[in-house]
Amino acid sequence: MRYYVSLIILFIMLSAVHAPVHCVAAEPEQASTDAVSSQAVLPVQTGDAPAKSPTQPTDVVSDEYDEEEDFDYEDEPFAEERVTIADPIEPFNRAMHRVNDRMYFWLLKPVAQGYKTVVPEPARISVKNFFSNMGYPARFLSCLLQSDFSGAAVETGRFTINTLWGIGGLMDPAAGKSLDLQKQDTDLGQTLGVYGVGHGLYIVWPFFGPSSPRDSVSIVGNQLLYPLSYFYPWYVSPGVLGFEAINATSLRIGEYESLIGAAIDPYVAMRNAYIQYRMKAVNARKAKSLLLKNPEASNTVVDTSRTEK
Amino acid sequence: MLILAMNPVAVAGGLFGPPQTISQEAGGLNTAIGYRYHEDTYRNHADYVLRQNQLYSQVAYGASNRWEIYGRIGLSDLQISDAFRSTDVSTTTSKDHFEENWKFFGTLGAKGFYPINNIFGVGAFLQGSYTFGKFTDETTGRHNTTPFTADLEVKNLWDVNFGIGFQATVPFGIKLYGGPYVYYAEADTRFSDNIPGRPFGTQKTLLRNKSAAGGYLGADIPLAKGFRLNIEGQYTGRFSVGSAITYTY
Repeated sequence: MRYYVSLIILFIMLSAVHAPVHCVAAEPEQASTDAVSSQAVLPVQTGDAPAKSPTQPTDVVSDEYDEEEDFDYEDEPFAEERVTIADPIEPFNRAMHRVNDRMYFWLLKPVAQGYKTVVPEPARISVKNFFSNMGYPARFLSCLLQSDFSGAAVETGRFTINTLWGIGGLMDPAAGKSLDLQKQDTDLGQTLGVYGVGHGLYIVWPFFGPSSPRDSVSIVGNQLLYPLSYFYPWYVSPGVLGFEAINATSLRIGEYESLIGAAIDPYVAMRNAYIQYRMKAVNARKAKSLLLKNPEASNTVVDTSRTEK
Repeated sequence: MLILAMNPVAVAGGLFGPPQTISQEAGGLNTAIGYRYHEDTYRNHADYVLRQNQLYSQVAYGASNRWEIYGRIGLSDLQISDAFRSTDVSTTTSKDHFEENWKFFGTLGAKGFYPINNIFGVGAFLQGSYTFGKFTDETTGRHNTTPFTADLEVKNLWDVNFGIGFQATVPFGIKLYGGPYVYYAEADTRFSDNIPGRPFGTQKTLLRNKSAAGGYLGADIPLAKGFRLNIEGQYTGRFSVGSAITYTY
């Protein structure tokens, strides 16, 4: 009898050990294939079981794995939403990542460190505030296009107050305790995201860094809507933008180093960080959109009106 | 936003403001945007009325409810009445008044305050302004039958003001203030051509303020969320009136 009980316990233990080994091996492969073939960002809800495809064969083995996967995910009820992005031009992207990395360590960081030594932090924050204030047209338009009218009003209030009482935008009284008008962190790429446009594929642009076709629209659009892009002669604008980059870098030296320092593959870490950040930003903007945050609610309204007629 | 411009009669680089700083007691910034209609009489052989509309932005630092230093940058136009009018009957000009649009001006100032009790206090200020660039305007006309065109140039327009202020803080935190002040103001003028009967010649002509002293009266009213409204009138033989909205950090 003891022999049989021991055998059953051993069998259960072996089963428990066996299951995770299979999931870890199988799941990434499938995710990777999906990502590349669909050429789009694929949100993966780790808290939910993957949906079964109707074309998939329903054999006993796959059913068993599904159950095991369900069991595993239930252990992580608060796991964050994960997304992946297609990266078909990875060699190019890696090369550009390397270029940007070298540019950061060899040029931008040393210059920013020198600048940081000379210019005190309050002054650098004021400069950052000024450039941020100049980004009002893009943020305002993005809010309008996202039907976030409250955000557009807040942005307009911020711009007015900071320009007039913030010494041309050098100070940010609008974000103070009494007024509490916080900056709407949005751009045209997020606007497209709110409308359901996917990233497409991952692109690393030289100088501009991680992006996608969708967010590249943001790079172009935001520059077109940036008043400081229209200085004459032509070389003034790049000079101003370069100064803005140096100033911004001086305020966050160490962040990039921390990210890549903790990563096995800095390129992948950067890509993941970028895509997660953008996904969260788009979701946050969707929540603020009057028309787009709940399409089902909109349909209900339409149906109701039809019924009334 | 409402910028109040009262009766259009009135003086130099912005309001004087209440003698007591509105900055936090521990020390801090306050900023303002303001408008002022300035009017004053300048003299060189004859009297000329100068009128200016001034729009400015101010940043100030004050502490202890006692002292404040401030700077302003703004834009101002200029009108000089009868600058082109000829006293020679054989000379006619296309217009009488000199008018030029916006030029930058800067102002620096400092003020100190001594509270007598919770309501009353006395203070003093020193404020100077300088207009950058030069104002120019052109006129055409005829001297006898000969047509002419001439430019009038006005530059180095500056002033300095020193005054004493008395302040009373009334309910709702409203500060009423006023006092006497002395000032000096001047401007260089030069015509591009000599035309008989016109007041300015091709040589540099210095215009100076006709009056040397004046008085000012104002109110500083708390609004909401750190904003305040400042309204002030000044008199130096002619009236100037202005208003500013300030924000305390």
